[in-house]
Amino acid sequence: MKKENKLKSGLQAILTDLLFWIYIFGCVFFLINHWFEKVIPSSFVVIFGIAVGLITFILGLSAGRKIFLPTIRTANKWHKSFWGWSVFLILFITFVVGWNMVEVDLYKLFTKFQNAGGIMSGIFNPNMDILIVCLTALAETIYLALLATIFAIPFAFILSFFAARNLMPKTFIGNTVYIIIRTIATLFRSIEAIVWAIIFSVWVGIGPFAGMLALMIHSIASLTKLYSEQIENIDSGPVEAIKATGASTLQIWIFAVVPQIISPYLAFTIYRWDINVRMATIVGFVGGGGIGLLLLQQQQLLRWQNVGVIIWLIAAVVWIMDMVSAKVREKLQEM
Amino acid sequence: MKSIIELKNLHKVYATGTHALKGINLEVKEGEFCILLGLSGSGKSTLLRCLNRLIEPTSGDIYIDGIDVVAAKGKKLRYIRRKIAMIFQQFNLIKNLSSLTNVLTGKLGYSTLIHSLTFPQHKNDMKTALENLRRVGLKEFAENKTRNLSGGQQQRVAIARALMQNPKVILADEPVASLDPATADSVMRYLGELNKKDNMTVICSLHFLSLARKYGTRVVALKDGKIVFDGTPREIDEKKFKEIYGEDAEEVKIR
Repeated sequence: MKKENKLKSGLQAILTDLLFWIYIFGCVFFLINHWFEKVIPSSFVVIFGIAVGLITFILGLSAGRKIFLPTIRTANKWHKSFWGWSVFLILFITFVVGWNMVEVDLYKLFTKFQNAGGIMSGIFNPNMDILIVCLTALAETIYLALLATIFAIPFAFILSFFAARNLMPKTFIGNTVYIIIRTIATLFRSIEAIVWAIIFSVWVGIGPFAGMLALMIHSIASLTKLYSEQIENIDSGPVEAIKATGASTLQIWIFAVVPQIISPYLAFTIYRWDINVRMATIVGFVGGGGIGLLLLQQQQLLRWQNVGVIIWLIAAVVWIMDMVSAKVREKLQEM
Repeated sequence: MKSIIELKNLHKVYATGTHALKGINLEVKEGEFCILLGLSGSGKSTLLRCLNRLIEPTSGDIYIDGIDVVAAKGKKLRYIRRKIAMIFQQFNLIKNLSSLTNVLTGKLGYSTLIHSLTFPQHKNDMKTALENLRRVGLKEFAENKTRNLSGGQQQRVAIARALMQNPKVILADEPVASLDPATADSVMRYLGELNKKDNMTVICSLHFLSLARKYGTRVVALKDGKIVFDGTPREIDEKKFKEIYGEDAEEVKIR
């Protein structure tokens, strides 16, 4: 192993061990606090963690060493070694802390069913009088999902070419464009549509338009990623062949790349519409309009029979969309 | 006869460190049918792809028809490329487009973007494309998607695409390696015809000595990125063959 690499692995190993034990002591102190209501200064966690981490590392027993600096001194069977038991400890303590933090209460789950009686009976006795109102809201949701998808297509289509590694030249500019578009797309995608909906409902006011904008932004980001991955998977042979005819870059894209991606693009787009219809319901909850908004209102008024209608309608639409989009995608595959 | 291709001390070192071409000096005369022999990995594909700059050579000079290929950029490079057609082992057609459209792509180097998007409106291009398809015996397959054609038919569409470029040089990278022997011969026959009738210079990598003897006017053999033989096909006897392909090699007769 090169000296440089050894240093790097060593640092990684010791850092892993420190974090490992700080986390374990953090968990222990959380549990002491939780069960015995004794507050222990957080500096103790860090001091104990670092101390134990360092000791195990120096003694060569630690998990960090096992991962980054495998040597003969570390045993291979986990139940015969210190690192094995410490990994077991960290998993076990994580589970215990999780159980307490989430306030798991099986007693409530099995004895308080009657609390949900109202909503359950509402679901099975839906109030059909408001069906028309619900259908109107549902149409709003479907259309807003459709428009969000349609508006996202041209943006994502164009961006995807610049976000495909195999199309961008390996020059400074090519790399920069690639990285910027990929980063923005990832960033925008990691912000949930529901957050975008909150932003846009303030920007353009509560209603389906805000919902559409939210879904559109999220769709652009996510389609750009899916599309560009599709471009990265194309057969490079035709690209080479078209390049050899003396075609310009744009001609290469149009004649060698586009024909190869058109049917997967359609499949992804339809899948995206399917996702958007589902998300549109959620987005409605935070001011994105459509059936989600109606559901929120009826739920807050405790009109469980009305909620029942809405739930059935949403389930039906999601089910139908799912089926239709699966069928269409299947057909596209055969093309 | 004047030389159409001139390579001077051509080197190619890949980013991975592989030294694929180690100082190739080669002169190809106009109208030659030059066969490249050599094991897989001997540098044949790299050499062919350097000629039209699908691969950037590391150092050395390439002149085609007197033009400095290595120095060419942008438009100039496109003008050079359109005079050099290329045929590939995997045909490299756009599989879900029709044969006719695939042939028309041979015209891209001569067309503006707008022109190339409206090929069907240009009677001349359509006529030439159909004529080229007829020449390779595939006129009735013009509207078929190429994915539905057999391997031999696909390679003939690729030849028609090459013809569309009206090239001076045809580079063929193992054009028959994925075809059965009979089809392989018919594809080689088309290349032979272009060489003789249309006076196109052909550089073609092959593995079959029998085809090399039948169609080649000259054989250049590569081994580890160097030229180890340069002469006529007749001059390759068993000893030479073993030199090129290694001691254990036996010549496979396909006919």
